[in-house]
Amino acid sequence: MKNSDGQLYTIEGLAAALVMLLTAYFVINATSVYTAGDTHITDMQLEALGTDALRVMDANESRLTGSPLRNIISNVTFTDNQTFGTMFGNLINSRTGAAADHIQYSASYSYRDLGDNSMKSMFINASRNLSGGEHAVRATKWVIANVKGDGLPGDSSYIPGFSPPQNRSVLVEVLLWRD
Amino acid sequence: MTDDTGALSIDFLVGFTIFLLAFIWVASMIPGIMVGLQSYTIDYDAVAYRTGVILVEDPGWPVSPPWESFSDFQKSNMTRFGLAVSKDTPNILSQDKVNRFFCTTFVYPDDYHTRAIFGDYPYGFNISLKDAAGEYQSVGSITPLGYGTIRRIVKIKGPSNATIGTGNYAKYPSFYNKTENVTTHVFSFLIDNPRLLDDVKNPAYQIDPAREQLTINVTDLRATITDYPTAVPPIENMTSTIELVNVRVYKKEGALYSNVPLPASEYPFVNGSSTRVTSMPVPHTDNVTIKLTPYYFDLMKAQNCQIYLALGFNVTPPSTFLNNTQALPDFNNLDAKLTFENVNTTPFNYNYEVENVTQPHLRDAVLEVAVWSGGG
Repeated sequence: MKNSDGQLYTIEGLAAALVMLLTAYFVINATSVYTAGDTHITDMQLEALGTDALRVMDANESRLTGSPLRNIISNVTFTDNQTFGTMFGNLINSRTGAAADHIQYSASYSYRDLGDNSMKSMFINASRNLSGGEHAVRATKWVIANVKGDGLPGDSSYIPGFSPPQNRSVLVEVLLWRD
Repeated sequence: MTDDTGALSIDFLVGFTIFLLAFIWVASMIPGIMVGLQSYTIDYDAVAYRTGVILVEDPGWPVSPPWESFSDFQKSNMTRFGLAVSKDTPNILSQDKVNRFFCTTFVYPDDYHTRAIFGDYPYGFNISLKDAAGEYQSVGSITPLGYGTIRRIVKIKGPSNATIGTGNYAKYPSFYNKTENVTTHVFSFLIDNPRLLDDVKNPAYQIDPAREQLTINVTDLRATITDYPTAVPPIENMTSTIELVNVRVYKKEGALYSNVPLPASEYPFVNGSSTRVTSMPVPHTDNVTIKLTPYYFDLMKAQNCQIYLALGFNVTPPSTFLNNTQALPDFNNLDAKLTFENVNTTPFNYNYEVENVTQPHLRDAVLEVAVWSGGG
């Protein structure tokens, strides 16, 4: 005789339970933060390096000399751009071991243009052009720099000068990344 | 008669089994949620970063007298290693602190672990420093795979020093030399602490004997002896005997002078030796190097006082010699006021004159800290 003893009546319940579990699994997975554990560490290391390099470049070698970074900002010429590249590149890539590092950078500075009261930004130097795909971190330093140029109209590429000339603060900004 | 009392429903069995399996599955999944944040290198990197900050941005403890001026026997006084010149000058390291930190008399890892690495976990570590000239110093083991690291770019503040030699004697003969042929000669120095601290405020370029070792080299002593071959006995600088009799130290506080004993740990170096003399007088002295440690300045509470150093020499046969001091009434019974406020006394001033003193100079360097597990 056929009867219903031992039958599994709740196949819908079973299906619903599985659906709920799968849902819970996907939800938990979706809300988990899967940042690679060390990403922020490498960012911090790069940022510390960049900040250190700018700080060191803004320190006079002796009481009787000026800050290299300040001199570079105050007298931007092609040679000074290269000077920045050489100094900054050597600093961030130097290691205590034999092999140098391979950190890339792009540097610029910004200032307030008193002529039209706007913010202007000037490129300094880069070891490689930014393509947009780099995971770059930013290091900045405020530098007190002299007014640049001779104040003539042809000096539009320089920081517009005061009359009389006086020091002013500019923000040097460097983006650093690894290949 | 059938009776289903006590029978276990197969529905319940299946449902409970599914529940248990699901519970176990979910429970085992929970730790996996944190996988993305679970990394040993995070801890090692963090410890390396902390150590880097302590070394590069902190002068250590105690500050006065600085920790590096304590001897190995006074190691218990050193609480924290920091290499920065001061808390206001991050990334600028003191040469004295660097030398002491990498000295061979500290024990790895114990001395460093409690003063630079910190924490209860027995980390292994390697700390290395290389300056722009390529000079390399390190402490610690060889780095294994899987370590945390930080690299800091710094400048090292070189110490000031003064070297008195033939160049000075030729340039200012009357200032450095006394023309009378006598046996006893005295050469004195002035370390004007209040002026040194006031003339330059920035610790990165300041000469501060209470913070950094001060070095004075007196060289070419024979060059100050004028040959007089016809004298009886004949005077020839190559054969004359020069004896360093003593070094006297006087502290001027207000208008009062006080004689401060020079401890054996501050005795001079002579003739290029790497160890201090153990007693004075020192016969056959061709050159003298005075190195005064911050510990000594702290000991005599001289951070804000003028310090006079007087070097007494005996020259045989009597001749001209290095001499800028009218020692009154004599070197063994020196009256500081009569001597140093005398118009015939012109002590060598250890100051910010570039012609007199080599000024502190900063040079580039890179410091790396690597930390890993196990203290190996």
